Amino acid sequence: MVALKQQEMLRLTEKAVNLAQKRGADEAEAYVYHGLTTSVNIERGQIARSSRIIDRGLGIRAIVNKAIGFSYTNILENEAAIEETVLKALNSAKASKPDKDWHGLPTKKTFSPVEGTYDDNIVELNSEDLVKIAAVMLDTAEKADTRVFPIEGGAGASYLCKAIANSNGVEDFDHGTIVECSLATIAKEENEVTPVCFEFNIERKYDMNPEWVGKEAVRLAVSALKAKRTETKNTNVVFTQFALQQLLHFTLINAVKADYVQRNQSAFKGKIGKKVASEIVTIYDDGLFDGGIRTWKFDGEGIPQQKTPIIEKGVLRNYIYDNYAAKKERKESTGNASRAGYLSTPNVEATNFRIMPGNKSPEELISELKEGLLVYFLQGAHSSNPASGEFSVVATPAWKIENGEITYATKGAMLTGNIFQALTNVSELASNERKVGELVAPWVLVKNVKVIGK
Amino acid sequence: MNRFPFKNLQVRRGEILKDLLGKTIDVAVQRFGAEYAEVRAQKLFKTMLTLKEERVEAAKQGIENGAALRMLVNGAWGFASVGTLNAETLKNAVSDACKMAKAASLRLKKPIKLVEAKAVEDKVSMTPRKDPSKIPIEDKINTALTTSNIILGYDRRIKSCTLDYLDLTGTTYFMNNDGTYIEQGKLYIWSRLLATAVEAGVFTFSREEIGSTAGYKVFDIETPEIVGERVAKRSVEQLKAKSPKGGTFPAVLGSNVVGVFVHEAFGHLAEADLTLSGSVLLGKLGKKIASDVVTFYDDGSIEGAFGSFKYDDEGVPAEKTLLVKNGVVVGLMHNRETAQKFNAKLTGNARAEDFRFEPIIRMRNTFMEPKDHSFEELVEDIKFGYYFKSFRGGQANLDGTFQVGIQEAYEIVNGEVGAPVRNASISGNTLETLLKVDAVGRDFELWPGRCGKGQTAFVCDGGPHIRVKEVLVGGSA
Repeated sequence: MVALKQQEMLRLTEKAVNLAQKRGADEAEAYVYHGLTTSVNIERGQIARSSRIIDRGLGIRAIVNKAIGFSYTNILENEAAIEETVLKALNSAKASKPDKDWHGLPTKKTFSPVEGTYDDNIVELNSEDLVKIAAVMLDTAEKADTRVFPIEGGAGASYLCKAIANSNGVEDFDHGTIVECSLATIAKEENEVTPVCFEFNIERKYDMNPEWVGKEAVRLAVSALKAKRTETKNTNVVFTQFALQQLLHFTLINAVKADYVQRNQSAFKGKIGKKVASEIVTIYDDGLFDGGIRTWKFDGEGIPQQKTPIIEKGVLRNYIYDNYAAKKERKESTGNASRAGYLSTPNVEATNFRIMPGNKSPEELISELKEGLLVYFLQGAHSSNPASGEFSVVATPAWKIENGEITYATKGAMLTGNIFQALTNVSELASNERKVGELVAPWVLVKNVKVIGK
Repeated sequence: MNRFPFKNLQVRRGEILKDLLGKTIDVAVQRFGAEYAEVRAQKLFKTMLTLKEERVEAAKQGIENGAALRMLVNGAWGFASVGTLNAETLKNAVSDACKMAKAASLRLKKPIKLVEAKAVEDKVSMTPRKDPSKIPIEDKINTALTTSNIILGYDRRIKSCTLDYLDLTGTTYFMNNDGTYIEQGKLYIWSRLLATAVEAGVFTFSREEIGSTAGYKVFDIETPEIVGERVAKRSVEQLKAKSPKGGTFPAVLGSNVVGVFVHEAFGHLAEADLTLSGSVLLGKLGKKIASDVVTFYDDGSIEGAFGSFKYDDEGVPAEKTLLVKNGVVVGLMHNRETAQKFNAKLTGNARAEDFRFEPIIRMRNTFMEPKDHSFEELVEDIKFGYYFKSFRGGQANLDGTFQVGIQEAYEIVNGEVGAPVRNASISGNTLETLLKVDAVGRDFELWPGRCGKGQTAFVCDGGPHIRVKEVLVGGSA
């Protein structure tokens, strides 16, 4: 893979900041992002596609009289294009309205070291190597059970780098790698088709187990066959990390963002120091988590990432901040500014949202339940009420738990409730921590969830 | 004297790019032996705004140029995406794409084949009703601020509002080795308004979207007053709403919910790639899956609609595609690969979000055909049920399980629309539910939206009001 060099990227950011100031910006910030992704795709039972995507560009924030303008370009080889982008950012700022709560771009801070985010072995992966990984998954899956059809999946390797500079002296570069492989399956038997089942690996270092992914994707699909309707009642629900991530992404994670709190969109407003969850719940937003998918040296504004306690033993400790939200309250940013590459201005986002695990194995946790539901994925989590935390979703696939055992797959069961209520009903945390999206968590047992079966 | 130097320069630039794309195709075919070679290029410009309450978070403008190369070599696909439109970069990219395809072909079982498509040479220019690229950004900011103020001023219980605005203009270029070359003007206008209201610990949330390919004139129809009030009113009225009961109930679905139901519960399963993956529609062509009153279309040719375009991203004209006629599945949505597998006619459903993505099968404007019932007739026979008027989100699964989250709903009691209910959702199995549609209204509306399938597509969906004998309602009461 060929990437822009560190010096080149830093030179670009510096040049853009200087130019913006020369042309009349009170403050300026430039962000250069470069991503290279090579991937191989499985489609309907075969490897049939490979791609390489190179995306790079420059985003500039210019501040004039407390009004913010932003412009980006992906034409980097041309001085005139960069100048034009600087001017567009300035024009946007001049056309915009002053923001009384704007208290300046961040200043330079010292970074904590980050671990496990870069691996040469991933950078060197080519499409032939990725075909091999995908083939292992596919072969394992096909040998395992003839009722299962691998519908899609694949393997991918990414090298990402970013550089930032601003007119307050912030200037830095970071790079990292991500490797992943995944397989989605369905099982078919007579007239029955299962919901889509899915398993994957994602790591910052080259440590993949495609055979396990293939096996698990098959095991899930086969066990989702012979699904039955279940009764309507309040019961114990064990959420796997997938279901949990889907649910929390649209509810709890928004509720701890300082901008949501400041804008009266969070049920956690005024709750710092209060009990908001069951005593066994401890959550960190850990931007330095070893090998975390969102672990980086600095955030989208050049502020060092950090570990922030969110909930400790059920008590709400902190919200997460970017520079703007923090300065509004005369606080320090928690390093939670996130950007969509060069295409966007910073937004408050969680880094690695880590729910601390418990001691029980998932098998032990299930074995102690007289009754309940094991929920792997949810449909419709994005239609939850983000402000109130109310959700009304379908569990697909999910399994019935009876007398400590998983007995059968359920069909179209709906779960309804309120995520903030559910937090206070968390009664067990398993020990099986894993990374899914921004979430790092174990299986979580919630008591008294309403399940609508028919 | 030449009075149009700028115009001439444009033409010349266009031809240089065409020449460059042509050379790229030639290299793919001659040097790398590509069976099929395609290059898409784009020169696009975006303006974006985000307002949070009365604060303009940032006024944003961006340039996105790039090229996407897709090659079929030895029966497998290779794809390369680059953000630079020069000879050197395209030369490397074509080599990359072809090598990718060769690597992918190593474990191929069935080589990919494409159905033949008629070669097209065309230049499609937009005739916008108010060109957004000619409207000063100050005016766009002022319109957005007006909307924001209308929402916040509607009721003191409205605590926040977020407004996003996007316009996209420019040109896309398409060339393949079948002799097709298309230059297509692009124009999209989109806006989303979110409002939250709070009272006594109750939070409500309301959303509206505007989308058009016709021009900025859409804001003369969907004015700040009209849309602002619609979103504000809903979030305030939801404050006094109650939770719905959980269980199976008869329901009337409003045009907005019918649209998302057609799109999610049926449409995705009829995207031929997902049908082949094993969706419940596999093997159902020519079979009856819905009641007689059910007719569905996916139409890429509705003028000005958010999901319309002349040619898709494989250079195929966008057709009006009949999917279900009187309850019988008669068609699927195709690209050149699936049309070959099904031996079907091309429909023009291959779409790519931009140069970073490969074209995949996507919906355009998907809707149910209206029939003859009035709203009163749909409601009058229901003793107890729900009227689901507006959706918050929806999601489908290959096994036919669908979920549609509802942002505005009412009870139906003894044939009349009653008290509002909040945070409901409906679910069921597509094939079971379509057979339970027992009456279809005579009204019709199309609603703009965005659909995600690994990449985003601008779409519309809609239809009339309908009645469903029973549907599973997720409610906590």
